[in-house]
Amino acid sequence: MPTHNPPAAASDRILVLSSLEPDQLARAKKHHIPRRRLKGFELLILWALRLYLIFMMVVVAYQVWIARVH
Amino acid sequence: MKPVVPQAEDEAVVITHEDVDRAHDRVRVSTARAQRGFFSRARLLWLLVGPGVLVMLGENDGPSMLSYAATGAKFGIGFFIPFVALTFCMAIIVQEMTVRLGAATHRGHAELIFERFGPFWGWFSMVDLGIGNFLTLITEFIAVRAGLGFFGVPPWIAILIALVILYAALMSHRYWTWERITLAAALFNLIFIPVALMTHPSGHSVAHAFLTWQPLPGFNKDTLLIVLADIGATVTPWMLFFQQSATVDKGMTTKDIRFGRIDTVLGAALASAAAIATILATAPLFAHQMTADNFQAAEFAQALQPIIGRFGASLFALGMVEAGIVAAITISASSAYAFGEVAHKPHSLNLPMGEGKSFYAVLSVCAAAAAGIVLIPALPLVYVVLLVNVVAVLAMPPALVFLFMLVNDKEIMGKLVSPWWANILATAVVFILAGAGVLFGISIIAPNIFAALGGT
Repeated sequence: MPTHNPPAAASDRILVLSSLEPDQLARAKKHHIPRRRLKGFELLILWALRLYLIFMMVVVAYQVWIARVH
Repeated sequence: MKPVVPQAEDEAVVITHEDVDRAHDRVRVSTARAQRGFFSRARLLWLLVGPGVLVMLGENDGPSMLSYAATGAKFGIGFFIPFVALTFCMAIIVQEMTVRLGAATHRGHAELIFERFGPFWGWFSMVDLGIGNFLTLITEFIAVRAGLGFFGVPPWIAILIALVILYAALMSHRYWTWERITLAAALFNLIFIPVALMTHPSGHSVAHAFLTWQPLPGFNKDTLLIVLADIGATVTPWMLFFQQSATVDKGMTTKDIRFGRIDTVLGAALASAAAIATILATAPLFAHQMTADNFQAAEFAQALQPIIGRFGASLFALGMVEAGIVAAITISASSAYAFGEVAHKPHSLNLPMGEGKSFYAVLSVCAAAAAGIVLIPALPLVYVVLLVNVVAVLAMPPALVFLFMLVNDKEIMGKLVSPWWANILATAVVFILAGAGVLFGISIIAPNIFAALGGT
């Protein structure tokens, strides 16, 4: 959060801390969630779908080109 | 997601304006939850609905309503009526997962992908989202321009009106107010229901279509394109990112998941009613054998005028305008949320302008750029309209796999991981979408093989 935030009033502080869960605070978003190591099968699926998407985008571009030519 | 705030004294915790606004919303929810009785439950539902209804009605956007209109005009009342209802069931399966993810982790979708799978995969999904969102935004402004064009409004004034409404909703700098304004506008999507009633659809035909899925359309390239467009009109990547971010911004917790599900189902019911109504509204064009292949919003309204009169046609055109404006609001918000999450910049509709400069800048620039493109003369925008839903279907399987992996990640979801039956349903959705995409690809690059499969 920007450092120029004015300090919260005591009543606001009590309100926030009593009604929000700790990881709901905007400041909590600064804390990173640990990275997960992808397994071989997961990587295979992700790469297969990535290639599928790239290929299909070429198909879409081809269809647009055909439609414009005709 | 278990608390990530370090074990610090309360005094050391930094409280922001965003936190205070969200806390006020949570106090109202807690108060309603503490009370018993029907009215307290109804108030709790009123307080917690929003992201689900918005995402579903937001997805009934310009190109989606055009797809439904084209469906009715090309095929009349038949297979596509229950098919569209089925696509909304798929949307419920997918979107419910984002509610659980948002409530359990308090993190947006883009943020989770980046943090859990790393920037390499994160950037892939961001590029998919960015391109898809920008193309879709362009089509929303095309819908607004075409819809207001029916009333003789010049394009630049139509675009200006859309931008003014979009920016006005942001001016409150309060998620709750933004959500209520956008919800009120989104409910206008139901205007297609009275339009459908004006065409006096046969109740018997509608019931027959629902029960038998007939008459079936022929299996050809046109049908396949409509199938893809109708699927793309209900399940798209921006919906995943938007509903999860909105769930987080609204401050929903694991206690609210049940109401988040009700919100999602309610949104799907309203949106499918509007979608089916649009098919019914344009079905008379099929009965009159009118060609509607390259119709845009205004053309549909003009073609319907002899059947439902000037008033009915005007409602149809206004419905297109609403569809474009609400989707422009939600899709630009989805882009801004995702940017903020990835760039670790403040990202909330509760932010005052001074604290959320980058968030509001991304939102405004995306909308303004898409609006500007629509005003460039002689640009072949018709291709964007026709293909934007198809592109959405193609981009959905990779997005769904990330969602599937996140929602089954015990480390962040704990006991809220998907049950086995939800995983089966989600896997079926991925296969249906990927299968439809593959068939589309075959029909374009190998039409002979497509014909051998039974298509023409």
